[in-house]
Amino acid sequence: MTYTGKRHGRLLAAGLLLVAAAALSPAGLRGDAIPAWAWLVWSASAAIGLAVSRQAGVPPQEALRRLAWLLPVVLMFAVPAAILAPAERRVLVACALVYRALSAAAAGASIAAWLGPSGLVRGARQLGAPARLADVIEATLASLAVVLRQAGNMLRAREARRTTFGAWSDMAVAPLDTTRGFGRLVAALLLRSLERAEALERARRARGWTS
Amino acid sequence: MHIPDGFLSAPVTTATFVVAVTGVGLALKAESRDPQPMPAGMLGAVAAFLFAAQMINIPVAPGISGHLLGGALAAALLGPWRALIAMTVVLIIQSLLFQDGGVGALGANIIDMGIAGVAAGYAVPALIVRWTPSPRGFAAGAMLGGFVSTLAAATLTGCWLGLSGLYPTVGIVQVLVGTHSLIGVLEAVLTGAVLVTVLRWRPDLVRGRQQEPGMRHPGATLLGLLAAAIAVAAFVAPFASGLPDGLERAAETLGFAAREHPVMPAPFANYALPFGPSGRVATALAGTAGTLVVAAAAWFVSRGLRTHADDVHR
Repeated sequence: MTYTGKRHGRLLAAGLLLVAAAALSPAGLRGDAIPAWAWLVWSASAAIGLAVSRQAGVPPQEALRRLAWLLPVVLMFAVPAAILAPAERRVLVACALVYRALSAAAAGASIAAWLGPSGLVRGARQLGAPARLADVIEATLASLAVVLRQAGNMLRAREARRTTFGAWSDMAVAPLDTTRGFGRLVAALLLRSLERAEALERARRARGWTS
Repeated sequence: MHIPDGFLSAPVTTATFVVAVTGVGLALKAESRDPQPMPAGMLGAVAAFLFAAQMINIPVAPGISGHLLGGALAAALLGPWRALIAMTVVLIIQSLLFQDGGVGALGANIIDMGIAGVAAGYAVPALIVRWTPSPRGFAAGAMLGGFVSTLAAATLTGCWLGLSGLYPTVGIVQVLVGTHSLIGVLEAVLTGAVLVTVLRWRPDLVRGRQQEPGMRHPGATLLGLLAAAIAVAAFVAPFASGLPDGLERAAETLGFAAREHPVMPAPFANYALPFGPSGRVATALAGTAGTLVVAAAAWFVSRGLRTHADDVHR
């Protein structure tokens, strides 16, 4: 379950420090040795991340499944770096890079899951983030679910009206129409988002809000 | 394009955070002085739109799809300062809530896709609109801006990864710029497609467009810029160093260069043509062809632009 206390700022700061500690521990690049404490930091970060995720109502297997989604991106960065490392250290460097990236991500994901979107904004405010930036983040989060649902509906409608079907993509078959269709779809999404935001703004002002 | 956590060194992380915080701070300050304030709700709605637009994939080839990055489009819609704020918010939410880009790498990602993306996406159309103050010129400029912003972001990403000791800097920059040239073309086309539609439906929403009194021959300057770009591609590119780059050197040192074989043939591999002349002439022709493809795409998409004002005149 989401954190319900009042120390959002401290928790966010602790989470960010944990991410930084994991992400910046040396992983044996430039031929340096990997210190033993780095493995401890990564293990601690991963363990704390899984524990906090559990506290947030995300079971460990679900947390691990979410981390697995990051693996292709992490491997894309880690494998070439490992190939460029000296031959006798390639596997070690690859393991260290992957472990470092995933443990840092585990810590970041867990604190986000525990605090929740509004808790993150509250934490940012308590940490002294600029008010305007926090306001815009809050407004973005408020709009995000509606805009994403709208985008999903528009894509579903577009798919339902699609006449072509097959291995070759729309872009290869009809590049001009596909591009034009994309432009209209995304432009319509923008207009609907703004119209909704304008309506909300009018309603806020009608109720006496000034900022 | 998003750099995950764990791939940047401590000095690079610190330096990029300082630059990103400074840039965003300046943007917030400049935005607060804007005579036409924009409610946070509206700016948040645009940021949410940019987030959603990045999730709409457009199929490029079987099994491959691409999506908008949005820096140039945001700059065209909002102007540079608000665009930077909106892109920063998108990147913060992506990294914190979706782990798309690392929290520790947020500074680098904000510089790459926020500051560089918005700066290039704003400067290029602003330059072109100075001489061709028409919707078509603006849309074409925004498309070129989208292309330039992608390459700028790729270059900076390569620099951060290289400076962190992950790869040889020159090699990774070359690899990233090479692969992102194609992504830049897609970004340019998608930016143009969206912008053309918005300019036709609601031109008042496009704040980045600053019309100025036009020149007598607005197309002349655009053609001049195109000629300059082609000249750079044709005459400067062939004189680029022919020595092996860092990645090739490392591959040769480690002994796996001989095992190199392409997964699929590239049309302009090593910036040379698969047929006809070879050497510097081929490099010049390949560079010119790439420049012309982007310019033709910009012209073609901007042709579809016809605003309400144009309709009235007709």
